[in-house]
Amino acid sequence: MLDYLALVFVVAVKVFKKTTPNGKVTVYLGKRDFIDHIDYCDPVDGVVVVDTEYLKGRKVYSQLVTTYRYGREEDEVMGVKFSKEMVIGQEQVVPLINAKMELTPVQEKLLKKLGPNAYPFTFNFPEMAPSSVTLQPSEEDQGKPMGVDYCVRTYVAESEDQKSHKRSSVTLAIKKLQHAPTSRGRRLPSSLVSKGFTFSNGKINLEVTLDREIYYHGEKVAANVIVSNNSRKAVRNIRCMVVQHVEITMINSQFSRHVASLESREGCPITPGASLSKTFYLVPLARSNKDIRGVALDGHLKEDDVNLASSTLVAEGKCPADAIGIVVSYSVRVKLNCGTLGGELVTDVPFKLLHPAEGTVERQRFNAMKKMQSIERHRYENSLYTNEEEDNIVFEDFARLRMNEPE
Amino acid sequence: MADNFTDFGIGPMAQPLKMVSKEVVEHMLGWNIPEEHQDLVHEHWRNFPAVSKYWHYCLALIYTMLMVTSLTGNGIVIWIFGTSKSLRSASNMFVINLAVFDLMMMLEMPLLIANSFHQRLLGYQLGCDIYAILGGLSGIGGAITNAVIAFDRYKTISCPLDGRINKIQAALLIAFTWFWALPFTVLPATRVWGKYVPEGFLTTCSFDYFTDDQDTKVFVACIFVWSYCIPMSLICYFYSQLFGAVRLHERMLQEQAKKMNVKSLASNKEDASRSVEIRIAKVAFTIFFLFVCAWTPYAFVAMTGAFGDRSILTPVATMIPAVCCKIVSCIDPWVYAINHPRYRAELQKRLPWMGVREQDPDSASSGTSVVTANSAQAPAEA
Repeated sequence: MLDYLALVFVVAVKVFKKTTPNGKVTVYLGKRDFIDHIDYCDPVDGVVVVDTEYLKGRKVYSQLVTTYRYGREEDEVMGVKFSKEMVIGQEQVVPLINAKMELTPVQEKLLKKLGPNAYPFTFNFPEMAPSSVTLQPSEEDQGKPMGVDYCVRTYVAESEDQKSHKRSSVTLAIKKLQHAPTSRGRRLPSSLVSKGFTFSNGKINLEVTLDREIYYHGEKVAANVIVSNNSRKAVRNIRCMVVQHVEITMINSQFSRHVASLESREGCPITPGASLSKTFYLVPLARSNKDIRGVALDGHLKEDDVNLASSTLVAEGKCPADAIGIVVSYSVRVKLNCGTLGGELVTDVPFKLLHPAEGTVERQRFNAMKKMQSIERHRYENSLYTNEEEDNIVFEDFARLRMNEPE
Repeated sequence: MADNFTDFGIGPMAQPLKMVSKEVVEHMLGWNIPEEHQDLVHEHWRNFPAVSKYWHYCLALIYTMLMVTSLTGNGIVIWIFGTSKSLRSASNMFVINLAVFDLMMMLEMPLLIANSFHQRLLGYQLGCDIYAILGGLSGIGGAITNAVIAFDRYKTISCPLDGRINKIQAALLIAFTWFWALPFTVLPATRVWGKYVPEGFLTTCSFDYFTDDQDTKVFVACIFVWSYCIPMSLICYFYSQLFGAVRLHERMLQEQAKKMNVKSLASNKEDASRSVEIRIAKVAFTIFFLFVCAWTPYAFVAMTGAFGDRSILTPVATMIPAVCCKIVSCIDPWVYAINHPRYRAELQKRLPWMGVREQDPDSASSGTSVVTANSAQAPAEA
């Protein structure tokens, strides 16, 4: 085993691997995060190494499985399960059916290194497949967190329908994510609203403009707020927040969470006739929302590496209402407090929050930052998952590899 | 028994004894109640011969068994739900509440057993009131708690994200169940409206449904609606809504599966989704059926007593409903608690000799929660 790793190490390919409890079947994946580029999606490419003597004529199957969990496990009563598992891809890996299948570079490398007992498999995500999202559980919640997740499950069986045994099956958790398009777009989202009052003349106008349409995770969102008060009321204060809208399509329900907010009295009260122009900066971060239940996060929960769920992107020509799974969107909401009788003036300006696309400068910066956290993180994952057979990738080898990586 | 109807014309006090052809002295029902308390016994019961002591012993035996069952079942429920942290949720407070009501019903049983051995009511009016208050409070409270549990389940299942009732709401609902049970317990006890009288073997007590006046009839009609019709329609309503919500979720999930090209929605899929609905329907029906079993006999007897043909209400026939609702109060904890996975796990941990074999729900794999649409074989892509 070590020499395989050494080989892998030389060409500096990171691989994820996990072995069945009985040690006879090992699955290798080139990555854990598969990116949906809207027009196409990274295929799930892997290699299975199997002890052929152990098989004795049985076959090895692999499945791409998505699990929806839309309610807490402890709330399941009367035999209702708040989770649904769907097999969105299934393939017989050993014996190989399609010998002429096109291999990805990672698979080619792995096949070369791992010898004759290695068999490739490839899954394509269905076109509509939703992104991985995890809804942050509250502290008292037990059991698996809600959300959409994916895994690759490999098992040994006589035939496709036969039940797999725990000892000879292995599950690797993967993520399907969306990245921002390479160009961030020139359009500046903005909104203009005004409010009149029942018993007095004149209006308060509120204009909110964002400095971008697409923000990357960790970036500052700048909202330029212009208030002009032509009414007889005064604006007491201004609240500005980033709202995350989460729509859980499988049960047709939605909710929103404030993931960043600030309140300002600067320049307030804005008296009749006065106006105010001010830029508010907000940074929506998962870190600052750790104790809020239901905040949508990208994929799995890892202590340092967690970020807010990316906005759900829909392919051009597709209706956003057709999106399935958990649909996430963001907006900046500005609220003017016009006193107890005056009520509130509210407006929402939508924007997108995403990871920078592969190959852009921002992406490189982002990767460098991630790398720093990664060793710590993998150590954490190890401690977290050692006694949990179910979950997932064994990172030990991988972590060692990364530390030796000549970069 | 029919022979005794011939004694109709003679006043009740006048003939506590009667010779029967077999030369056995046979008493009429109510003979052993002292004269000053004779007004407790309604005319109707005097038409029947005194119930043989074997009937009394038999009833005492049944009640002893029920008492033991109820004590263990409800006792364990209160003990485990009350003391284990993982079970301290709002929904489980209702199950505890139901167990408390059921235990209260159990408190009637030692009274009855004592009464049975004396073949008469101990304590007369006071004993009767205590017995009937226990029965009334626990019966009406238990019925409405069933409805509240149905409501809670409906909320939890129809909106799994935020539907769960919080602890304050749960406490209010529990207070509501007690207030719901109060009027028809307090009013007869204080004789403001209706009253408690012995019934059947004259060893048990319940509200009066025989007195032939407007007040009593209205009382019976009201208690029928209040403690039978309303809880039952609530139970039906919430479980049918719940069933609808589950079906809706299943359908939406299927649609999503279709969108992801999980093509072979063949037999496999349909069976799987149907079984969830069937499972729900089974549980809901069990609960509804138990409710019907518990309270329909009582409702029938009371309504017949007030508005129907009383001659069918023999002492034995009127004891059946009492036994029915007590049996159900013993079954309740098993129905509500035993199909609660965490309760079973806890039960196994604390009382391993009970032989409950339950996987720890935390470690139970998601594999159990599956239902899959077996996918179309991914045609060797790429």
